[in-house]
Amino acid sequence: MTAETASAAYLIQQVAQQDREAFSELYDRCSSLVFTLAIRMLKVRSDAEDLLQEVFVQVWRQASNYSADRGSPEAWIINIARSRAIDKIRSIRRMEKSFVLTGDPARAESSDNVESSAAESEVRLTMNSALASLPEAQRRVLELAYFDGLSQSEIAARLAEPLGTVKTRMRSGIQRLRDILGTKVA
Amino acid sequence: MTHEEWLEKGEIYALGALDGQEQKEFEAHLRAGCAICEAYVRETRETLMLLHRTLTPLTPPASVKTRVLDVIDGEKVAPLIGKPRSTRRRWPIITGTLAAGIAGLVIGGLFYRVYYEPRHTVSMAVVNLLRDPATRDQPLYGTGPTPAARGRFLWNESGEGHIFVSNLPAAPEGKIYAVWTITKRSAPRFVGAVKTDTHGQGGLHINSPRSDQPVETFAVTLEPADTTAAPTGPMVLVSRPS
Repeated sequence: MTAETASAAYLIQQVAQQDREAFSELYDRCSSLVFTLAIRMLKVRSDAEDLLQEVFVQVWRQASNYSADRGSPEAWIINIARSRAIDKIRSIRRMEKSFVLTGDPARAESSDNVESSAAESEVRLTMNSALASLPEAQRRVLELAYFDGLSQSEIAARLAEPLGTVKTRMRSGIQRLRDILGTKVA
Repeated sequence: MTHEEWLEKGEIYALGALDGQEQKEFEAHLRAGCAICEAYVRETRETLMLLHRTLTPLTPPASVKTRVLDVIDGEKVAPLIGKPRSTRRRWPIITGTLAAGIAGLVIGGLFYRVYYEPRHTVSMAVVNLLRDPATRDQPLYGTGPTPAARGRFLWNESGEGHIFVSNLPAAPEGKIYAVWTITKRSAPRFVGAVKTDTHGQGGLHINSPRSDQPVETFAVTLEPADTTAAPTGPMVLVSRPS
C-alpha cells in the first residue's frame, strides 16, 4: 500500500470517528475524481454537483463500513458515486425526462479543467490510445455500461444485438483492457 | 454453475451491467461469502477505474464543499475541541481548490504505478491460478480454538497458491497465523503468515519452492511471531475436518 492510499485509508478511519478535518482533506483528495465521473455520466453540471454532495455525505455517514481489504479508498468512493449516478440515470429514464446531452462533457467543461502535468497528460494519452485500440464494438458496450449506466439487457436492446453477444463483448473488452493497460502503462 | 461462470458474471457485475435474475443470483453468491468472486469483482472495479484516466480532470466549485460541510455539521454529535468554526470555514475556501488540484495530480500519477499495479498483479495471479486445471481448490475448516473459522486454499504443485480465510479473529499481539503445507513424508513447510482484519478476513498469496511430493494437507496454526521452523501452537484451520 502506498503512502497516498494508506493515508486515504487512515483519513476514512478518522472520518468514521467524525473527524471533520480528516473529512475535509479526504474531500480535497477525491472530489475531482468524483466530479469528473459525475459530469461524464450525468451530463448536466448541476446534477453532477448534487451527486458530488450526496456521495460525500454518504461517505461521512458510512465511513465505518469501509475496510481497506475491500479495495482502495478511491475505488470505494467511486463505487458509491457510480451506484448513485446509475440510480439517477435510471430514474430519469423512467420518468422520461429529457436532459442535455453533449458529445464530450469533459470538453464542454474545459474552463474548469485542472492544469495537468506533462506526466499526467501522457498517462491520459496512453489510456486514450489504449481505449482507442479496443475494437469499437467492445468499447461501445463498456462505455454504455460504465459511463451511461445501461444494464446488459438495455445495451442489447439499444444495439439490437443478442444479449449473449453483448456479454461476450463486455468480458472481452474488460480482458483486453487488462491486457492493454498491463503492457502499455507499466 | 462452475466458478469460471461465476467469474464471468462477476466482470459484468463489476461493470454495473448485470441485471434481472442473474444479478440476484450473483449477489446471493457474494452474500454466501465467496471470497474469490468478491476479490475478482474488486479487482475488476479497480481495472475499470482506469477508464477515468481517459477523462480530463475537472475541479468542482468550492460551493459544493461548503454545502457538504454544512450538511455534516448539522449531523455532527460534538464539535471538535480547539477548532473554531471560523478557522474551519476559511480553510476549505482558501485551499480547497488548490488541494483538490494537487491531490488529483498526485493521486492520478501515483495510483496506477504504485498502488494499483501490485494489487492487480496479485489479483491476476489468483485468477491465473483458478484458470489452471492443475490448481486444487481445497476448503479449510476451523478447529481447536476457532471452530467457526473457514477458508479456502488454492494450490498448484508448482509451489504457487493463495489462501483466503474468514471468521478468524486477528492474531494476538506477538503471534502470527502460520500457513503450512504438509506432504506424506516430509516435515510441514512454512509458506507464509496470513493476517486477518477486524472482520476476521484475510488472504495471502504464496510462492514457495516446488515440493518433491504432492501436498496432502494444508494447515494454519497460531504461533509466536518468531517461530516458523515447525508448527508448535494450536491448529486453527485445516484442510480436512477433524
